[in-house]
Amino acid sequence: MPAILLNMLKSMKLNISAVLLLIVGHAPSDLIASEGAREQLIRDVIIENGFTPHENLYIDKDSELSPEGKVFFESTHMSLNGNIACATCHVSKIGSSDGIPNAVGVRGHGESIERLMSGGKIVPRNSLALWGVGSKGFQTLFWDGKLSFVDGKTISQFGSTAPSDDPLVTAVHLPPVEIRETLEEDAFVLNNKNETVAGVDVIYGAIVDNLRVHEPDAFEALAVKRKIPQEDVRFLDVAFALAAFIRDEFRIKETRIEKFVSGSDSFSDTELFGAEVFYGKGGCVICHSGPNFTDQQFYTVPFPQLGFGKNGFGIDYGRYNATFNPSDLYKFRTPSLFNVANTRPFGHSGSVYTLEEAVTAHYDPLALASIEQYDSLQRHELSKVLALNDTVGTVNFLTEDEVAAVTEFLKTLSF
Amino acid sequence: MKKILIILNVMATLSCIAIGSKFVLMPMFAETLFKNDYQILMFKCDNVMRDHLIAKNRVMFEKSDKSLAQLKAAEIALMSCHDYDRLRKKLKVWGVTDSELSHMGLEAIEKNASDIIKYVEIHEVKY
Repeated sequence: MPAILLNMLKSMKLNISAVLLLIVGHAPSDLIASEGAREQLIRDVIIENGFTPHENLYIDKDSELSPEGKVFFESTHMSLNGNIACATCHVSKIGSSDGIPNAVGVRGHGESIERLMSGGKIVPRNSLALWGVGSKGFQTLFWDGKLSFVDGKTISQFGSTAPSDDPLVTAVHLPPVEIRETLEEDAFVLNNKNETVAGVDVIYGAIVDNLRVHEPDAFEALAVKRKIPQEDVRFLDVAFALAAFIRDEFRIKETRIEKFVSGSDSFSDTELFGAEVFYGKGGCVICHSGPNFTDQQFYTVPFPQLGFGKNGFGIDYGRYNATFNPSDLYKFRTPSLFNVANTRPFGHSGSVYTLEEAVTAHYDPLALASIEQYDSLQRHELSKVLALNDTVGTVNFLTEDEVAAVTEFLKTLSF
Repeated sequence: MKKILIILNVMATLSCIAIGSKFVLMPMFAETLFKNDYQILMFKCDNVMRDHLIAKNRVMFEKSDKSLAQLKAAEIALMSCHDYDRLRKKLKVWGVTDSELSHMGLEAIEKNASDIIKYVEIHEVKY
């Protein structure tokens, strides 16, 4: 064997010398040039896929109402009887989410883990981060897209009587009237729980009265700014203020990717490689495209299901719950990726804890499933989700290095 | 007079036992005995009802021989709800109230809620 190896090395000697000569004598300038070309290629592909500078994403709308919106956002009196504020599940210091797999609604105390352990009512989806929800192009909201703005029309539970053509203003109408999330099912709520817009108007009126009593300064300021008497303030006015605050507080700011695109900063080798995988082999960009790194479409991504799910017994049919179209079973809206590194856990039920696992869920979902601990229903559900999945066929096989690089690239979307 | 009082006392005691049995012991006994069966049957019924709705919706969105056959199968599957319905009635006869039945149902639906706490503990989530 050693003799064969020696002969092989002898015969390769010339080639090895040639390669060494190339590296020593010529490669540095070529390498520098190719690195520059590689950077430029990535820059071009980022722009081609809809990257937009942060100033161009911000919509300056009703911003004068933002201070009052902040008061309402942080007020537990936004909840008629459940003692819960918008800020309870959208905590600025926890990436505008709550840091736990499923949100905790009424009867909970405190924030995040403390709230989960306090025994409050579980709201069986992961609390979505709010970064960029009021930005240009952000027109589909919530995991199941139960509110969207398509062809100039708002599609929501309100039917033809949507309170506003601004998706964010309409969206902030929904959580305050969700039983279990922010409403206790007391006698007043039960009396008005008739699945009609008129019925829900009564609840909105009661919430406005609640705010009038408990947040008098902000309420008065809102009336002055809206140029209406206090008694004429409606929930829509409160919603304008809330939307203004959310738009302002959770606006997209300058990120490292933006600096990279503008040429004022460069990526590390790992970040650049991660971008290559994101826009190339990984195919991440097929869905995470556009100015907000989401195409706002719906896909079945085989994330494990954690908790009892929107449909109970550990099942969540996702978009189907909003459309009743069987082709939407298990689909969820592509989430935005801004600040994604700060919004763990990930997935519609918060079932994966690291960015690496979140990437893995797209191409090697079985790596995340503790199948030996599953009961037969869980295995059946997983099989269905795998059969319907949209990503395993799209995302190529990735190595550990590639997954790590993608997560490094994703961190450049933080601010 | 004494005899009458004793008889009344015995009758009152028996009535108390009967009422206690009817409204406390029997429902408690029935709940303990049939809770697991009730939750399993409830799941089975819920499962086939959801499948039935999906099958109906599928016919609406994409009518074909296959979707029609699926709907027919889903209709037959609804027979699973018969056992659930019978047990529910039986439990009501035993004195289990509607709210106790709902509570048992909710417990079954939300059984996986405890997984979230386990997850948080496993990952040592802290903020």
